[in-house]
Amino acid sequence: MKERAVRVGRPSPLIGVVCEPEIIDVQRPAVLIFNSGVMHHIGSCRLSVKLARSFSDIGILSVRFDFSGIGDSNTRRGNGSFSKTAPLEAKEIMDYLQAKRGIKKFVLYGLCSGADAAYETALIDERVVAYSQIDAYCYKTPRFHYQYYKAKAFKIRCWVNLCKRLMTKVSSIKSYFVPKEDQKENEYLEPVSYIRSFPPKEDLRVGLSELVSRGVFMNIIFTGSEDDYGYADQYRESFKKVKFESYLDLHYFDKSTHIITHPDHQLKVVKTITDWLSYVVSQLENER
Amino acid sequence: MTPFFFGESKNQLYGVLHPMQAGVKKPAAIVLCNPFGQEYMRSHRAYRQLAIMLSKQGYDVLRFDYRGTGDSALNLDQVNAHDWIDDIGVAIDEVKDIANVEQVNLIGLRLGGLLAASACTQREDIKSLILWDSFVSGKQYITELESQIEGEGLLSVNGELNSNYKNKSGIINFNGFSLSSDLQKSMKILNLMKMKFSGKKSIFNIISHEEAISFSFIEYMKEKNNFQSELIDAPHDWNYVDKYGGILLPQPIIQGIVNRLG
Repeated sequence: MKERAVRVGRPSPLIGVVCEPEIIDVQRPAVLIFNSGVMHHIGSCRLSVKLARSFSDIGILSVRFDFSGIGDSNTRRGNGSFSKTAPLEAKEIMDYLQAKRGIKKFVLYGLCSGADAAYETALIDERVVAYSQIDAYCYKTPRFHYQYYKAKAFKIRCWVNLCKRLMTKVSSIKSYFVPKEDQKENEYLEPVSYIRSFPPKEDLRVGLSELVSRGVFMNIIFTGSEDDYGYADQYRESFKKVKFESYLDLHYFDKSTHIITHPDHQLKVVKTITDWLSYVVSQLENER
Repeated sequence: MTPFFFGESKNQLYGVLHPMQAGVKKPAAIVLCNPFGQEYMRSHRAYRQLAIMLSKQGYDVLRFDYRGTGDSALNLDQVNAHDWIDDIGVAIDEVKDIANVEQVNLIGLRLGGLLAASACTQREDIKSLILWDSFVSGKQYITELESQIEGEGLLSVNGELNSNYKNKSGIINFNGFSLSSDLQKSMKILNLMKMKFSGKKSIFNIISHEEAISFSFIEYMKEKNNFQSELIDAPHDWNYVDKYGGILLPQPIIQGIVNRLG
């Protein structure tokens, strides 16, 4: 394995690290590893580095990089939102790898905002043959609502909290309870440049159908931190009209935090995604 | 700004060089020494901003990742604090070559301060050392971590598996990063009050909140005429974890360091 630092694009280059396997097969896809939130390209708890090196062990080249304005990449001029600029910047990275290495197929990986960017990029670029997401867009189902309210119905604490929330709305008591030191902390916090907004479910259904008809493989992992996700098959059930068949590899790590802080979950995530990537590569090779 | 790998080919370190941008080139370069774990994640932006501001003052500045962290080679269970002190030495040699200078200033935040101070005692080419909310000892750091995980159950209030715990092998897992027993042991040996600094180096101790002031350390160092300490009130919750990887930018301290070296 060899790693190289790269600067892609001008005049304000995107900074990244290419992780190369011992032997590079340009017929195999390369993986683009996206930022999560405002964390720089090593990823939450260094997860992106672990993934990149695991991919290298199975002969897959990857690049982990910073979108403009995140990590080591400078901001770029223009007033496009992250959801608009991220796919375009991802295309730049793909163009770079295609020009420099001759690689023409790509797999995308992202957590949270990175997951959103992976989906949006896949929609606009047919070189994307697969993507892996952690805590992707998700939508509640009737079963979710049933499980959610059933769990709370018999908990006195939930009723107490509900009363408190109702009282807060009436009397605006909450605003008096922000400690002064918290206000000061906020003043020195870098504001998040991207506020997650889930698209209408029908838009996602259309998008997913299009991707499935293109033969795009999807690996999606939901964690227990995703408030709107409550059981393993919820995603599939949310989109019953989408014929995922074997294109969707869905997992639910209900005990995991959103940024995968537990070491056992980190190992599990790396293994799950690497195994899936191996499967995708073998499927692509069979298609050739 | 140039990202690059340097050092031994089998154990490469990742660094980002900020070459001097304006004015008169300073005769000494700067190496920034990272804190550990989630503190490193949360301070990444602050360090970047500090490096940019210092480069505008005429300094060549190198930020880098220790082995087992960031983009550098190896995993955390393969390294210890002595390796990290060696890595600081490699970074110093690298920036001296690139910048064509004979001396370097070291800046270290939290554990980075302790590591930078250790490197400082081993070399004659350090012009100054800036400690930013540094631990006085590695033992203090480990004790702080252990006190934060004490009493935590298997599951958090949200039903998630608790990520902050000490396992049966003695490994401390904290906010997504694991400290092996070897790493902890090597950290515990480090103690600012047992280090011998030569009189030529200037040492500047910046503290962001009164609770962090170690009067015993300040008393110990005060006798040396090259030591100064200053309280600059600023946010310091480097271990806070949220869904976005919230970034802390304590501007008063960043500006205070720039003013100090400018």
